[in-house]
Amino acid sequence: MTSVTTGVGPVPHSGEDPSRDQGAPRRRNKRQRGLRSNDGKTAAMLFGPTGLILIALVAVPIVFLLISSFSDFNQRSLFTGEFNIVGLRQYVIALSDSEFWFAILRTVLFTAALVLGSVLIGMYISQMMTRLNGAMRYLVTFVLIFAWAMPNVASSIVWKWLFQPGYGVVNWMLTRLRIFGDMSNTAWSNNTALALICIWMLVVWQAVPYIAITLYAATIAVDHSCLEAAQLDGAGSWRLYWQILVPMIKPNLLVVAILSVIWDFNVFNQIWLVSQGGPAGSTATIGVFTYTKAFVSFDIGQGSAIAVITMLMLLVLTGVYIRNLLKSGEDL
Amino acid sequence: MSARDNDAVRDIPVKAKKRFPWGRLRTNTAAAIFCVIWFFPVYWMVITAFKPRNEVMTVNPVFLPTHWSLQNFRTAIFQTQFLVNLFNSVLTTTVSVVLSVLLAFLACAALTLYRFKGRRSIMVTVLAIQMLPGTALLIPQFIVFNQLGLLNSYMGLILAYIAAVLPFSIWNMRGFFLAIPVDIFESARVEGASEWQILRMITFPLVAPGIISTSVFAFIAAWNDYLTAFTFMKDQSKYTLPVWLASFSTPMGTDFGGQMAASVLFSLPVVIFFMIIQGNMVKGITEGAIK
Repeated sequence: MTSVTTGVGPVPHSGEDPSRDQGAPRRRNKRQRGLRSNDGKTAAMLFGPTGLILIALVAVPIVFLLISSFSDFNQRSLFTGEFNIVGLRQYVIALSDSEFWFAILRTVLFTAALVLGSVLIGMYISQMMTRLNGAMRYLVTFVLIFAWAMPNVASSIVWKWLFQPGYGVVNWMLTRLRIFGDMSNTAWSNNTALALICIWMLVVWQAVPYIAITLYAATIAVDHSCLEAAQLDGAGSWRLYWQILVPMIKPNLLVVAILSVIWDFNVFNQIWLVSQGGPAGSTATIGVFTYTKAFVSFDIGQGSAIAVITMLMLLVLTGVYIRNLLKSGEDL
Repeated sequence: MSARDNDAVRDIPVKAKKRFPWGRLRTNTAAAIFCVIWFFPVYWMVITAFKPRNEVMTVNPVFLPTHWSLQNFRTAIFQTQFLVNLFNSVLTTTVSVVLSVLLAFLACAALTLYRFKGRRSIMVTVLAIQMLPGTALLIPQFIVFNQLGLLNSYMGLILAYIAAVLPFSIWNMRGFFLAIPVDIFESARVEGASEWQILRMITFPLVAPGIISTSVFAFIAAWNDYLTAFTFMKDQSKYTLPVWLASFSTPMGTDFGGQMAASVLFSLPVVIFFMIIQGNMVKGITEGAIK
């Protein structure tokens, strides 16, 4: 459930200071919220149902995850409900399993490749859009939104058909190029490198639209007199872009990059549907690896321990993101 | 990115010499190539879906089909569990979206219109929940729902969707609440309106666009979910459409024409909703920024 979340709603607010207006009604102005300080009861009533749901469906499960990560919960336990607490054993097993470290390494490298690819292409497209006239820009936007809107399960199925050994149209085109030889029967998902390239293209294809449109909006919102001045001083367009414009849209770029890292780290469906993490687990990122442990071999204790480790890693990233949000003046 | 003309150049009249605009041609060509590449997967899906069976698998692909056929759609709809699974998807998605949006509306009212201790930490928590890895909630929910007998049931799936969609809904709707000028509430209170009346008669209509936008995004998120449904629902008759699509097969074996028709059927509502909301959003971004 990514790619449509966060950063899409209107954010017309900034610069509120929550510490200032408590018990000082006279100093309130239009931008400050929190009308009466004794409204705790109403607020509690309004937030109550959500709070209960989040506790029951998120907080309690997280506690269960922690417990099961210290246990030997497995397929049998699902029927009998019996399991033993084994202390840190699952973590020791996970951390001494070379497969786990390969999965982590693979995830980090693949995430880096995905983020780099999609952000650079997104930057290029956003820059291209500023130079297009109305009709062409409309067309590019339309195409971007289409790629963005496709559900990733559907696009994964389409990808498998594009790259299908025998009748895949991409294989046919590559064969026609006569550079790689006859690729018409190449099974992309049976080869680690090819499978990763294929999935990389799929994820980047869907990630670029959000990045391109966000950066395009940021670019046309900056003060262009600065760019014109630099232009008159004789800066080339390449330098103009990297030295003047990029620093100006840096906050947006940072948010886009951090969100991309989090989303790409969590990519699951595309890998699962295109290669199932194979051949022989060689394309399994940490998400796929965890899922396979927990729901294919039903070693749920082990899966939980890995999920906890992943969660902690992501929590660090999220922390960076939230700090960045707070620093940019967003009031939470 | 090395094209010489850009916005800045065009605005400076001194440099506007009369010569062939190579840079412009180059940019437009690049844009056209980009559009062709980026749109091709969608084009290929739709074209394949409408091809007659004998034109789907050919040694040389048919790029512009001469014969159009609805055979693949008939296969996808009537020779599979499509209608049953469509019902499952619509039911679970609708219930979880309605409940999530309702809860998010009340929660946002609490979080933006009132000041209370711990508000900030609630927002940070809500944001952090969204960033959890998929398996972190899936594994314990599976264990708990297994104990409660909620696996393979609509109820379990709906609860899992609410957990996934609610934090995002709160986060998305909050921006709309913050855009309301506070003075409106002040004057309503002075007039003697109760909190409940304010919520129903003032806040609700004012954030209606936010409710629509949040519902659409929540709908897309729940509609597109594959992992949870795939893990929880074991009977084919309980599958939702993403699971149906991922495990698509017809009595004739692997049928790519049918698969593409199925992909079109599944994507269509999402693409339509997305076009409506996102088209407006892009227009909003662009127009607002130019001002």
